[in-house]
Amino acid sequence: MLEIRKVSKAFGGLQAIKGLELKLAEGEIVSVIGPNGAGKTTLLNLITGVYHPDTGAIFFQGQRIDKLAPDQIVARGIARTFQNLRLFTQMTVMENVLVATHQSHGSGLTASIVASPGHRKREQGQRQIALEKLAFFGPRLQGYRLEQPVYVLSYANRRRVEMARAMATGAKLLILDEPSAGMNPSETLEIGDVVLKMRQAGYTVLMIEHKMNLVQKVSDRVVVMDHGEKLLEGDYDTVVRDPQVIEAYLGKSDA
Amino acid sequence: MKNWASAGTIALAWLLLFFVIVPAGGTLSSALALIFIWGVAALSLGLVNGQLGILSLGHHGFMLIGGYVTALLMLPAAERAPERTRLLGDWAREYLDLTVWLQSLGLTGLAESIYLKFAIALLLAGLVSALFGVLVGLPALRLRGDYLAIVTLAFGEVMHLLPVAPEVARFTNGALGVKGIPPQAGAPIFAFIVLLLAILVFSRIKFSSYGRALAAIREDEIAAQAMGVHLASHKVSAFVISAFFAGVAGGMYASFLQSIDPQTFSFFLTFYLLVAVSVGGLGSITGALLGTALVVLVRNYGGLLEAPYPQASMVLTLGLLLLLWALIPFLFNRIRGQTRHLTGSQIGLLVIGGLLSLVGILAPQLGYLSQTEQLFGLRRILLALALILVMLYRREGLLGTREFSWNLLRRRRVEDADRLQDAWLRNPELFKEEKGARDKEGE
Repeated sequence: MLEIRKVSKAFGGLQAIKGLELKLAEGEIVSVIGPNGAGKTTLLNLITGVYHPDTGAIFFQGQRIDKLAPDQIVARGIARTFQNLRLFTQMTVMENVLVATHQSHGSGLTASIVASPGHRKREQGQRQIALEKLAFFGPRLQGYRLEQPVYVLSYANRRRVEMARAMATGAKLLILDEPSAGMNPSETLEIGDVVLKMRQAGYTVLMIEHKMNLVQKVSDRVVVMDHGEKLLEGDYDTVVRDPQVIEAYLGKSDA
Repeated sequence: MKNWASAGTIALAWLLLFFVIVPAGGTLSSALALIFIWGVAALSLGLVNGQLGILSLGHHGFMLIGGYVTALLMLPAAERAPERTRLLGDWAREYLDLTVWLQSLGLTGLAESIYLKFAIALLLAGLVSALFGVLVGLPALRLRGDYLAIVTLAFGEVMHLLPVAPEVARFTNGALGVKGIPPQAGAPIFAFIVLLLAILVFSRIKFSSYGRALAAIREDEIAAQAMGVHLASHKVSAFVISAFFAGVAGGMYASFLQSIDPQTFSFFLTFYLLVAVSVGGLGSITGALLGTALVVLVRNYGGLLEAPYPQASMVLTLGLLLLLWALIPFLFNRIRGQTRHLTGSQIGLLVIGGLLSLVGILAPQLGYLSQTEQLFGLRRILLALALILVMLYRREGLLGTREFSWNLLRRRRVEDADRLQDAWLRNPELFKEEKGARDKEGE
């Protein structure tokens, strides 16, 4: 589904990503782990079009996407969440999710002004999609919550809204940047369930995560990055026992 | 729907006021017309500054374009004589005339009604203005924040100076301006109908997917793009529709004043609109109209503030204002039972205010301070002060991005929301599943 071929990216003298290769099959859940500064978020920004690679290419469903702008990449079917939450805080929960349906189901300026029957139908359709995606998270984001502005929500609920928003874009591949950051253990566990549920619903998930119990719970495959390179790739148990990975995280022992 | 209902009530209230109370041609009638005309301009500014969150300081430029286009197209034959329009070139004098255009197209029927002609002229004025909106918007909207504000300000100032340039003066009559524009499009009823159209357009934009995309750009550009919103096309199209309505408002303003020159469209026009939009609530349609009404009323009826008064009464007024400044918060807090004693600064204010009042009362008896003075510019100072106070104490404006509704006054909305939330949280059915899961984990 997603194929990253020998991608490199440098910021000035800093080589953030070096010749990285990665493949994702449809329906997979892949976690990317690695110490701080390993280039995980840069990788994510390269896939979503925030940055463009210096060399190499990225293919999604057979089409090259590494020269496209972020909004074009969303239209192709890749959506993301942000590590530090980027919700539209003054807008309601419903509106936040509705914005994500705009590019695929919303009508433009003239149709909105004329308020054609097609426009009303599309607005209805958008609401339906939004409700469907919010239902993913149980009763938490239902009822009176829908019309509440996002800034009154708890941190965990904001993360949930962001995930609902990413799903509402109509994407097939979801990229989650530390979905459990700032969450307590029981909420983290629940995020695990949500990610598994995403796969059931037909999404492919690429996730950056630090909490190893969550990584263990959901990942089909784990990719370890360090210094902009792929250190290792494999299932959870092989990866965590690998001496290279332990060295990357904890350093070399002198003995 | 609730918003539509409240917008409807306000429109009806205006209409009633307009038909029942206001005599045609009076000062109130002209104040109303100005509220409607500037209301259209304020809505157009509100779309860019409030909904899209881009500070534009150049709307007087768009109004100038609309004003001149309308004025030239509608100028009656008698006013086109060479001695009346000394700088206007022959070409402009003879051919820049909507009647000539319509007749050459064989549409003589349209040319007979001045209202229809105005409607066409305003449409053209809006389109020309929108064209300039594209020209400015395409390069300028790549910029962000302050930089963009400076570029729009520069655009407004260029437009403000442009009619005086010798080459352009052949179309604009230079600093002399254009006089004798027919007044029909500046009449309250005409402006009111245009305003209703503008309200319809802008509220449909606000409550549509497109409008939500604009709001998303305002909230977080990067996130909006990451959710698939095409930034450039949304920004430019919003800017263009805003320029269109600013042009239409400019055309009506020209007709309202009947004579325009470059000074008519100075930065102060944008300043008034900015005060209206900011005080009323950035991103709120009813708020912008409320703000416009406030600005126009201060501007039109604030003449009393700038009339000549004896110095002594000014001192007295200042003293009384200081007394009120100290007493109102004190009494207010005392009624709510929060305080029993005056604070130090309140006592200070009372002393100074009392002394000033005393001077104001006694001085005339002793023969001092009896000369009269006039405080010119007090109205603008008041409006600027209103803007400062809003920015300090209520940055979102009176209404924020919400629309006016009667519930807002009754505080019922808040209670309703609380009740709903309680009912939701007490409903055990909803959280059953989750509780079961937690129990299992415990085992």
